[in-house]
Amino acid sequence: MEDDVKKAKKPGIVSPFKRVFLKGEKGRDKKAPEKLTERRALHTVPLSLPDHRVDPDIHEKEVKYLGQLTSVPGYLNPSSRTEVLQLIDNARKCHQIPGQLTAELDAVVSLSAYNVKLVWRDGEDIILRVPIHDIAAVSYIRDDSLHLVVFKTAQEPGASPSPSAGAEGSKSPALSCLTETGAVLLELCSLLVLAVENKAAAEELCMLLSQVFQIVYTESTIDFLDRAIFDGASTPTRHLSLYSDDSSSKVDVKEPFETEASTLSFPGCLDGGGNSPSSSSSTPASPQTKTVSEGELSTTAAELLQDYMTTLRTKLSSQEIQQFAMLLHEYRDGSSIHEFCINLRQLYGDSRKFLLLGLRPFIPEKDSQHFENFLETIGVKDGRGIITDSFGRYRRAMGSASGSTANGSQAGEDGEERLAPSGGDEWDRMISDISNDIEALGCSMDQDSS
Amino acid sequence: MTMEEMKNEAETTSMVSMTLYAVMYPVFNELERVNLSAAQTLRAAFIKAEKENPGLTQDIIMKILEKKNVEVNFTESLLRMAADDVEEYMIDRPEQEFQDLNEKARALKQILSKIPDEINDRVRFLQTIKDIASAIKELLDTVNNVFKKYQYQNRRALEHQKKEFVKYSKSFSDTLKTYFKDGKAINVFISANRLIHQTNLILQTFKTVA
Repeated sequence: MEDDVKKAKKPGIVSPFKRVFLKGEKGRDKKAPEKLTERRALHTVPLSLPDHRVDPDIHEKEVKYLGQLTSVPGYLNPSSRTEVLQLIDNARKCHQIPGQLTAELDAVVSLSAYNVKLVWRDGEDIILRVPIHDIAAVSYIRDDSLHLVVFKTAQEPGASPSPSAGAEGSKSPALSCLTETGAVLLELCSLLVLAVENKAAAEELCMLLSQVFQIVYTESTIDFLDRAIFDGASTPTRHLSLYSDDSSSKVDVKEPFETEASTLSFPGCLDGGGNSPSSSSSTPASPQTKTVSEGELSTTAAELLQDYMTTLRTKLSSQEIQQFAMLLHEYRDGSSIHEFCINLRQLYGDSRKFLLLGLRPFIPEKDSQHFENFLETIGVKDGRGIITDSFGRYRRAMGSASGSTANGSQAGEDGEERLAPSGGDEWDRMISDISNDIEALGCSMDQDSS
Repeated sequence: MTMEEMKNEAETTSMVSMTLYAVMYPVFNELERVNLSAAQTLRAAFIKAEKENPGLTQDIIMKILEKKNVEVNFTESLLRMAADDVEEYMIDRPEQEFQDLNEKARALKQILSKIPDEINDRVRFLQTIKDIASAIKELLDTVNNVFKKYQYQNRRALEHQKKEFVKYSKSFSDTLKTYFKDGKAINVFISANRLIHQTNLILQTFKTVA
C-alpha cells in the first residue's frame, strides 16, 4: 500500500493537487497510471492497546477495496475461512474481484457509530455506505500474504432476490427478503471485501468495529427497555367503554388526574432536542391541551393520546408528523386498515416500528384483528423491535377462555382495551381531532425550527 | 404539599428502610429458630424504631460493620440481598392474578439483584438489561390484569403506586444511559435498589387494598 504523502494543514481538507479520476468504480481508468498526488491525512484517534479502546467519533483507515459480492446466500458462515475464500476465489475467476493489489484500489474506510463509509483514497468519491445495523459480521482472513477483512452485510435495496424467492419484490434492505405479507424468502446478503496492510491493521479494524457494534447494541438495548416500560405503562388501567350503561365502569372524568409529568407534557413543554419522554423535564400538563372531547373520553384515554403525541414529537420530524396526519386522514376517510398499516410501517421504518404499538388503543375493534396480525408480522407485537426479546405472549384474553390469544378470539373482549368503539361518530370525531392535533403539532415544530 | 405529606412521601419512597427488611428480617427469621420470643421482640422493636426514625436500621448495620472492620460495599451488598421474598409483602390471596403478581415481582427482583455479577461483562450485562425489560413489562401487565379484573374503592392508591413504579423504571433506564458514559456502577446499584423497593411497595399496596 502506498504511504501517505505530506499531511494537509487540517485533517479533512483535500489537497488542491487532486488526482483526476472518472467517477465511480467502473469509470476508473485502470490502464493508465496517473501521477501520484498529495493525499490528505486520515482522521484518526489514538488507540489504547491492547484492545484498542477508543471513544469512536469518526475513525479512518486506509484499505484496498477489492469489491462487493451480492446475492450471497444468507446462511454463509462468516467464521468459515473456506466458505468465504471459495466465494472470493470464484469472484476472482469471474473478474468481479481484481487479482492483483494495485494503487488504484486504495480507499479509505471511515467508521462512525452510524455507518461504515468507503471512499476512494484519491478524489474521495464515495464507493458505498453501509449502516451499522446492516452489518451482520466482520471477518479477518489471512490468505498467504493477503490480509482480508470481509463484511457480511444486508443485501442492497434494489438487488433482485434469489429466483427461488418468488416474483414479489422486496422493499426491505434487511438480511431477509420479505414479501408484504411477511413470508420469509431466501435470505441474501452481500460481502464487502477489503484488503489491509497487515495482521495488526486487520485486528485494529475488527476491534474498532466491535466497539461500534457495542455502542449500537447498547443503545438498542436501552431503547428496548424504554419501549417495554412505555408499553407496560401505557396500557389502559380502566375500563374504557364509551357506550357502557354500567355507571360503575365509567371513569369519573372530574377526578383530578395526577399526571406523570414527564410522560404527559404536551408539545411546547418539551425541549426541542428530541429527548425521550423519560428524560424530559417535569412540566405540568398544559391546561390548553386539546384532547379529544375530554368530556366524552375517559381521563386515561386523554392521557394515552397525549402520551402518544408526545412520543411522536420526539421520534418524528415535522414532515413525518404531517405525513402521519395525512395517513390518519386517509384512514378516517375510508382507506383500508391494511393500507394504513403498510404506509405507517414505511413511514416509521425499521428503527421506529415500535411506534405502531402506541396506536393500539386507537384502532377500532373492527380493524383490531388485522392490526394485531400486522404487528406480529413485523415483529413488534410482543415488544420485539430491533432486538428479539423474551416476552413470550403479550397477553392472554381475560375470563374463562384461557386458551384464547391476545388477538382476541372472543368478540368484544380482546386482550387490550380499545378507546374507540366500533360505532362511527365518536370514532370519526376522535380521529378527526387527533389528525388536527397532529397537523398542528407538525406545523408548530416547523415554526420552532425556523 | 405540606410538610407532613412530604414526610410521608419521603418515607414511603425512601430506600433506607430497605435495610430493615432486606438485611434484618432474614436475621430475625434465623433467630426465631433459636429463641422465638426474643426474635419476635427484636423484630417488633426494630420495626417501630425504623418507622419513627427511617434509616436507623441502616445506621446500626453500618456501625456494626465499621466496628468489625468489615469492608463491604453496602449498596452492592444490599442489592444482592434484596431479591429474597419479604413475607410481609407477599399477597396471600389464592387467585391466579395475585399469585402472578407475587411471581412477577419476585422474578424482577431476582434479575435486578444479579446486576453486580453481570455489570462488568458488557455482553452479559446487556442481556440482563433485556431480561429486566421483559420482567418490568410482565409485572406491569400483571398489574393491569388485576386492575381490569377487580374493582377497588381505593383504586387511586394502586394507580399511584403503579405510576411511581413506572417513574422509577424510567429513572433506572436513565441511570443506565449515564452509566454507559461514565462507568459508575454504584449509581446503577442505587437505582436498582430503588426499583426493588418500588416493586415491594406495589405488592404492599395490593396487599393492603385488595
